[in-house]
Amino acid sequence: MDFVSENLLTLLILLPVFGAVGLIAHQMFWKQEEHLKWVTLAITVVIFLLSLLLLGEGGTKAGGFSFVKNVPWIEAINTNYHVGVDGLSLWLVILTTFIMPIAIISTWHAVEKRPLAFYAFLLLLQSAMIGVFVSLDLLVFYLFFEASLVPMFFLIGIWGGANRIYAAVKFFIFTAVGSLLMLVAIIALYFMHQQATGVGTFDFVTLLGSIESGTLAFSASTGLLLFIAFALAFSIKVPLFPFHTWLPDAHTEAPTAGSVILAAVLLKMGTYGLMRFNFPLFPDAARELAPIFIILAIIGIIYGALVAMVQPDVKRLVAYSSVAHMGFVILGMFSFTEWGMQGALYQMLNHGISTGALFLLVGFIYERRHTREISEFGGIANVMPLYATFFVITAMSSVGLPFLNGFVGEFMIMIGMWKSSILAVTATVNWNYIATMAAGTGVIFAAVYLLWMIQRVFFGKVTNEKNRGLTDLTPREIGLMIPLLFLMVFMGVYPRPFLDRSRDAVVAIQERVVKQAGGTVEVVETFEKE
Amino acid sequence: MIENNLLSIIIFAPLAGALINWLIGGRLKNEMFSGVVACGSIAISTIVAFYLAFVAGGGALFIEKPILDHIWTWINVAGFRADFALGMDRLGGIYACFITFVGLLIHIFATGYMHGDKGFYRFFAYLNLFMFSMLTLVLADNYLLMFVGWEGVGLCSYLLIGYYVKKNEAREAAKKAFVMNRIGDWGVLMGIFLVFTLTGSISFFDKTVDGVEVQSVFTYVLANMQAEPFTWGAIIAGGLTSIGVLLFIGATGKSAQIPLLTWLPDAMAGPTPVSALIHAATMVTAGVYLVVRSNAIYQLSPTAMWIIAVIGAATAIFAATIAIAQNDIKKVLAYSTVSQLGFMFLAAGVGAFVVAIFHVMTHAFFKALLFLGSGSVIHGMHHEQDMRRMGNLKKYMPITFITMVMGWLAIAGIPIWAGFFSKDEILYKTFAADKYFQNGYFPGNEILWGVAVVTAILTAIYMTRMMVMTFWGEERFHEVLPGEEHHGHDAHADEHGHGHDAHADAHADDDDEHHHALPPDFKPHESPWVMTVPLIVLAFLSTVGGLVGIPYAMSSLVGVKDANVFEHTLEPVVAEVQTPAAEKARENAKAHSPEAVSTERWLALLSTVLAAVGIAIGFALFRNNPLRKMPKILEDKWRLDELYNGYIVDPLTRLSTNTLWKGFDLGFIDGIVNGIGSFVSELGGVVRNMQGGFVRGYAAFIIGGAILVLGYFVYYGYKLIG
Repeated sequence: MDFVSENLLTLLILLPVFGAVGLIAHQMFWKQEEHLKWVTLAITVVIFLLSLLLLGEGGTKAGGFSFVKNVPWIEAINTNYHVGVDGLSLWLVILTTFIMPIAIISTWHAVEKRPLAFYAFLLLLQSAMIGVFVSLDLLVFYLFFEASLVPMFFLIGIWGGANRIYAAVKFFIFTAVGSLLMLVAIIALYFMHQQATGVGTFDFVTLLGSIESGTLAFSASTGLLLFIAFALAFSIKVPLFPFHTWLPDAHTEAPTAGSVILAAVLLKMGTYGLMRFNFPLFPDAARELAPIFIILAIIGIIYGALVAMVQPDVKRLVAYSSVAHMGFVILGMFSFTEWGMQGALYQMLNHGISTGALFLLVGFIYERRHTREISEFGGIANVMPLYATFFVITAMSSVGLPFLNGFVGEFMIMIGMWKSSILAVTATVNWNYIATMAAGTGVIFAAVYLLWMIQRVFFGKVTNEKNRGLTDLTPREIGLMIPLLFLMVFMGVYPRPFLDRSRDAVVAIQERVVKQAGGTVEVVETFEKE
Repeated sequence: MIENNLLSIIIFAPLAGALINWLIGGRLKNEMFSGVVACGSIAISTIVAFYLAFVAGGGALFIEKPILDHIWTWINVAGFRADFALGMDRLGGIYACFITFVGLLIHIFATGYMHGDKGFYRFFAYLNLFMFSMLTLVLADNYLLMFVGWEGVGLCSYLLIGYYVKKNEAREAAKKAFVMNRIGDWGVLMGIFLVFTLTGSISFFDKTVDGVEVQSVFTYVLANMQAEPFTWGAIIAGGLTSIGVLLFIGATGKSAQIPLLTWLPDAMAGPTPVSALIHAATMVTAGVYLVVRSNAIYQLSPTAMWIIAVIGAATAIFAATIAIAQNDIKKVLAYSTVSQLGFMFLAAGVGAFVVAIFHVMTHAFFKALLFLGSGSVIHGMHHEQDMRRMGNLKKYMPITFITMVMGWLAIAGIPIWAGFFSKDEILYKTFAADKYFQNGYFPGNEILWGVAVVTAILTAIYMTRMMVMTFWGEERFHEVLPGEEHHGHDAHADEHGHGHDAHADAHADDDDEHHHALPPDFKPHESPWVMTVPLIVLAFLSTVGGLVGIPYAMSSLVGVKDANVFEHTLEPVVAEVQTPAAEKARENAKAHSPEAVSTERWLALLSTVLAAVGIAIGFALFRNNPLRKMPKILEDKWRLDELYNGYIVDPLTRLSTNTLWKGFDLGFIDGIVNGIGSFVSELGGVVRNMQGGFVRGYAAFIIGGAILVLGYFVYYGYKLIG
């Protein structure tokens, strides 16, 4: 057990890679294609169970990292394989390992073309995603960040829908262009550190220490440039308005498993990156640029909702709703209050679960009817009552109904923005209030687009003859949904186990950002631990 | 602090009932089982609610401090604390008692009404879930948990309005109800944020949790806040008035006030017991509850109070004019509900919080009665709701007839019936608002009073019209209505258009509330006892229920000085604001000066006469001509829906489709991206040919381009440093 807990993160990263190699070997020797999904499932389940061990220590150390592994990798450029987990990354890692088995079971009968490659790519993707969340060396982080692109590119490009090539290329171009600038910034940081201390480094903890102690200081404009270079990469990933147009295409064309992972995990890499790297490394720039991000987030919330409202394709509708939801996450982070930032982190998890579940549900109906056009449906509740029930519950979670998970996150984000002082407060108007009120309208629109869609798809008489013979959910599909539905309720009713664990890490970042604000940002009252 | 864990049983019993019906009832498909579980769970709630309100520890209605029950800490982040905790004070106690009791009667009624419905278990699961949400709403000990109930009742309302999933108008109405409620919810949310910002708390009661002292919002407000000026500017100043207006936005959504009122009449597409329970007796009065609960805030916000009174009066008369021209029996009652809710807000707006709650309670009795009565009529008429096809039902449904007469007299405001006392108090308190309003000066109170009086006459008229069309006159069961012939033919053709399969489906629809032409030898029938017994109980309450709140001016007529039990019970709920104007208003209320008493008596006499006149007008107009043509604009509900669709919904849809999606996303952003893409791919034509693949060509050029960009930035970055 010692070996496992000492190398837990490394195991989590490497097991999927070994798994992929194993799959290939298995195929070479046995040529049993129907075994592949079982093997893959077994691997991801083992990884999920292993990742639960993180709860033993992760997130409980105040401000520090747990399960740290720091060994030299390329000594010539002083790059280390440095991984660790804290309250910020803990739940995102577990979300990743949790969603993978679900994604795999969701495609149980759907992969006809080249299953070996499909499952191998899924496993490689998992490895990259975990790597992103636990890397503490900027170069290693960058490599994982980019590496996650490749499997997803192929997942969309090979197993996607009719317009998959366009979607895959668009996805690749958008995200690759953004991350290139980040690489530049990472390299710049290396050289700056070299200049300041004589030793160049990519190590996040070292860099942060140097910046905090003042050893490494840069001018305001340099800080802004570096912040933007990082933030652009992450904003495209989120995606923040107006960088969002790759998302509807990628989501719509991707196979169900791809959409689920994309929504649940890949988008979170953007918001995670902002919180992990941008805020602590460049707090001044973060404060300075916050109004822009807040405005873009609010536009995204309203814009995403309005455009979602008029989509004829269910999957595209859910994709646009993602734009709106992720806008809330950005809004919460840039409020720089404990409520807002904790809410943002919580909302990342919520969005992963609710939107992931929505994509699963869309996948179920697509497998039956091979269409996602809303106009093709109508009255589905009559023939698939259980499916309709699950869909409505999931939609309600996405809408932010109290006692389901979405509400807690959105509420904390909004109260965080409301109580924030990042925007101007004049004698007559408090812009933080205005921002919250504007974002709050997104809550109304969310009800409009989801309920309108539900109404057209599920209620009324069965008008299309093709829908008459549809069968309700199979045990496999029910089994997939149960854990997600359980989490929606649990996280809505009892959020504290999650929030308590992430608190220290989030507050450390928040204080880092507001500390140098010269008293313009009020540091919130202390948390009463019970 | 008095704690009593029984409190949680009131809310969790219905929740358990809902779960049992959902998980087990769905498999058993046994009406007896589902009915017993649903009614049994509400019966438990009712018994516990009455026990806590009247007996335990002296009874929540009689003791000073609320009974509290902390269940768990829901959210506790950086000083923001929201407990899952309940509290029953006098206000919550009264609400809990009438909700559980009326709810129980309606549940029993529904077992008869829904008999034979395919989704019997589902219906009762939703109904129990509604009771859970509603009781959470009124027993929550803080704003956020109240909001949970608030949204929960909205969800259940959505599910139950859309219960007949195959009916088009039902699904439209369900969505509309949810969305309009959501617009209001926005106000509540923002209001809660502002409450927390200004007072540092969201709790309704002072309490100690896990050794931490939690001060209530109202204690803080009373101790630290001043009355705000009576100006328009106060609305946006971010103070108590802003809270008042924001919370009231929520109330307009939930309680169907102008401008968010159009969902409630549409909501009648749901089963009738739902209309009685949710859309008449309980949920729609949640807005009044919110205002009265927050009265400490409102008393210091005269502008917000004034707005509430004006909106209330305006809604009352607006809805009453529409009710007069409707032909669907449930639509008449729905607009009547909107109108009566307007009365409640008028009362709250002029500072008569206790009277508002009094009217909530009496209205719960007589409106639940009228709705259930209409349900009994609809049941007896085989799901016919159009009053033009009714008439002379008193011959066939005597019990329904007698009980509905009680409801009719109550809502019309005939003395000693329940509605008389509450409505009369509202009229008087509005007339004398200058005396009792906590902020002294109340501009326009005479106008509001005039509006309310006219509304009261209209109420008597439309209720008489409804009674006449339904129970008197000739039997018109086979009446062919204008424009129906053609429509009926279309539907017919459509139903058979799908061939044999569609025919089978049409039969499967029979358990829905679908209208089929009545057979030629049709005779309406009286409803079974499970339906008539609740009617009788409610009729009794509608008749004598008002006697708990006889105002001083009335009781002193017969020599009884202090008969207003209801007011004394609720008095402590109204915060004692320490401003000179509020103290003066309290003094006036206690003084019972001879002039005031005599004014109130004369006004009561006047409104009694007017109610009688209204009934007389109703008979004169409709007794011999029940199908009298009503003004088109009233029948069309002042075309408010068309207004909303034409000026809000359609433009927004067009903007989203044409400008945002197709214009900006697909045109502008993707145009740029695709432009760059095709530029690159043209340049990369050579490479593509070599590689012989579109994707690989792209990838190669991405990498090539990336290296170039990268090189440039590395160079630039290096220059930047060095």
